[in-house]
Amino acid sequence: MSAVVDRPATPVLRRSRARWAWGLGASVVVLWSLAGAGLFSGEVLNPAGARQLSRFAAGALAPDLSGDFRQVLLRGALVTVAYAALGTALAVLLGAVGAVALARTTWGRRRGGWLVARGVVAVPRGLHEVVWGLLLLNVLGLDPWVGVLAIGIPYGAVTAKVFADLLDEVPRGAHDALLAAGAGRGAAALYGLLPPAAGGLLAYSAYRLECAVRSAVVLGLIGAGGLGYELSLSFTSLRWEQVWSCVYALTLLCVAAVVAGRAVRRRLADPPAAAGDRPRRDLVLTGAGLTTAALVVWSWWYLAVTPAALLAERTRQQLSYLLAEALPPELSGSLLVSLGAAAVDTVQMSVIAVAVATAGAVLLAPVAARPARRARPVPWAAGVVVRLGLLLLRAVPPPVWALVLLFVLRPGILPGALALGVYTLGVLGRLTAEALEELEPRPAQALTALGARPAATWLYGVAPRAVGPVLAYALYRWEVAIRDTVMVGLLGAGGLGALLATSLQVFDWPAVTTTLVVLVLLTLAVDLVSDRARDVVR
Amino acid sequence: MVGAGERVGLVGPSGAGKSTLLGLANGSVAPTAGSVEVLGHDLAALPPGRARRLRARVGTVHQHLELVGPLRVVHNVNAGRLGTWPAWRSAWSLLRPQGVPEAAAALAEVGLETRLHERTERLSGGQQQRVAVARVLVQRPELVLADEPASALDPVLTDRTMALLTGVAAERGGALVASLHDPALALRHCSRVVGLVDGRVALDAPAGSLSVADLTAFYAGEA
Repeated sequence: MSAVVDRPATPVLRRSRARWAWGLGASVVVLWSLAGAGLFSGEVLNPAGARQLSRFAAGALAPDLSGDFRQVLLRGALVTVAYAALGTALAVLLGAVGAVALARTTWGRRRGGWLVARGVVAVPRGLHEVVWGLLLLNVLGLDPWVGVLAIGIPYGAVTAKVFADLLDEVPRGAHDALLAAGAGRGAAALYGLLPPAAGGLLAYSAYRLECAVRSAVVLGLIGAGGLGYELSLSFTSLRWEQVWSCVYALTLLCVAAVVAGRAVRRRLADPPAAAGDRPRRDLVLTGAGLTTAALVVWSWWYLAVTPAALLAERTRQQLSYLLAEALPPELSGSLLVSLGAAAVDTVQMSVIAVAVATAGAVLLAPVAARPARRARPVPWAAGVVVRLGLLLLRAVPPPVWALVLLFVLRPGILPGALALGVYTLGVLGRLTAEALEELEPRPAQALTALGARPAATWLYGVAPRAVGPVLAYALYRWEVAIRDTVMVGLLGAGGLGALLATSLQVFDWPAVTTTLVVLVLLTLAVDLVSDRARDVVR
Repeated sequence: MVGAGERVGLVGPSGAGKSTLLGLANGSVAPTAGSVEVLGHDLAALPPGRARRLRARVGTVHQHLELVGPLRVVHNVNAGRLGTWPAWRSAWSLLRPQGVPEAAAALAEVGLETRLHERTERLSGGQQQRVAVARVLVQRPELVLADEPASALDPVLTDRTMALLTGVAAERGGALVASLHDPALALRHCSRVVGLVDGRVALDAPAGSLSVADLTAFYAGEA
């Protein structure tokens, strides 16, 4: 080292060009989106609605808890749970079959086939559950299959991809050894691949069931029944106290789903040590498995689903009629122009939503994060309040937030974007708080020990380590948000969803096809950009 | 009881309480019984503002370094001055590094001046240890605490690092307390050796009265 000690030249600070370029690009896109939403030009506020909003807010303290409405809520919750359970069961089934078609193991060196399989799955994945619901409604009519398939198809596609990735990540040694010993390919996969991946597969299925509860609520809003349906009925009849009872019921349902799902996932990640030498089943997991199976059977009975509806002559006729109508897609200039404008609106909505959610999450997460040491009463209480608030934000579906915001905002893409932002804040706030909780506390404590102020400790010890994971989460939520914009769009907030709703209403099937193609391409493009950006923030 | 100008080497088997003792002295560990007096004050009894200013006069090289990996080296070195910098300067420095000449000089002392703007987590273990030493150098504390400050360094760097730490303590007329696992190192750089066993002082003698063999025997549990 003595060789370099005498060299006095101080190196010049070189900033990472890629990061600055992406940061600058992101700021420009956010400003462009805000301008597109009319924030810097025209009027966006509607002060006349403030009284309605305060009446709505007052309902929070006086929810309708009468015996009759409790019955309604209970029945609604059962329907929602039934849809979620059946939808997830279908998704896991499709996922298990699809995983075989998507795994690298299946294709070996035939990369072409593998890429085609991946591309095929991107289509069902790119369309939101609500879009599937509306399309299926036109094929099957008012049948419980609509709700089940609307969850099962897109979830099945995502599940297939994740299952395939999980199987591909398993170390190959055991599997290859079995093949070398003369085992068949199926047997080798069953003994060499499945056991190590089983925990991950089950954990992901449990997570999908949690998500399905939310999706079932949203499908209720478009008429599939359940809590979402009750919520929209109460909203359109301006019964705020009932709306709030629905919101609280939803929150409880979501909490129950998350708590149960997390318990199963924890158990899978950290199984208890085996006692004695007899093979023993984990009672908790066995119980959870049996309960789920019973739940699926009960859901089948409760929703009165019959395979006959899928195979009916009428369904087949309707499907072939629709396909004949929908092809070829319409490519007229006027449609393409309005699709282009709607795509811009959709992107702007998703960008505003994620920007709002990220800013809010960064502000709220330090309060929401559970401290490593025991907190004093005031910060502790603040943490509980913020955590409950975030829970409420993500329990209420975005379209409902959009309706609430329409009290005080003029119609346009801003209420839709903010509604999505509020909902995303609920999710992102929790994720950011968890990221902060997972940080090793000692580097920050070392700064406190050398006399740094709390603000400086946070700036030097916490923020630099949290910024990477938080931005990665935000980008991931952007991919989700671009799909979700369709959901608020269908209810009139603008963008591709609104265009799709209009085409569906007038049965303009060629235009529907074109819109769906643009929608899928847009989601793929966003996935691609987000993927690149995540590499930079890492 | 450590007096001004003393250089204390803390020895003892792992789990004896060396790190805990250093943590008590810089205030990151709260005493469960009794009280700790640092630079004439009881840290636990001071109001937050004065406790913070007192902590700024105590510098620590932590056993696990506790650097912030994603930050550039210059910021990790400047972290030593967060106790004296006003809040705005600490914040501004992250955008436009402040106190660069001092930070560069401290890094030159430990032989890392070419790494000023590198991301700290890209450095090797030994280089990171020297960044932690540089952080204490720019802090210029009156009491220097060091927990195995040379565990990842080669013999030449080890001696140099110990000399730097004793130097910075002497500059302000303060003391150095360092936990060391190498008996020879403790005897070479310390004026006094304190041995801990199970959290109690089992040995306390001037370094001149001890030999390497004495300390080796102490580690083996024969003292």
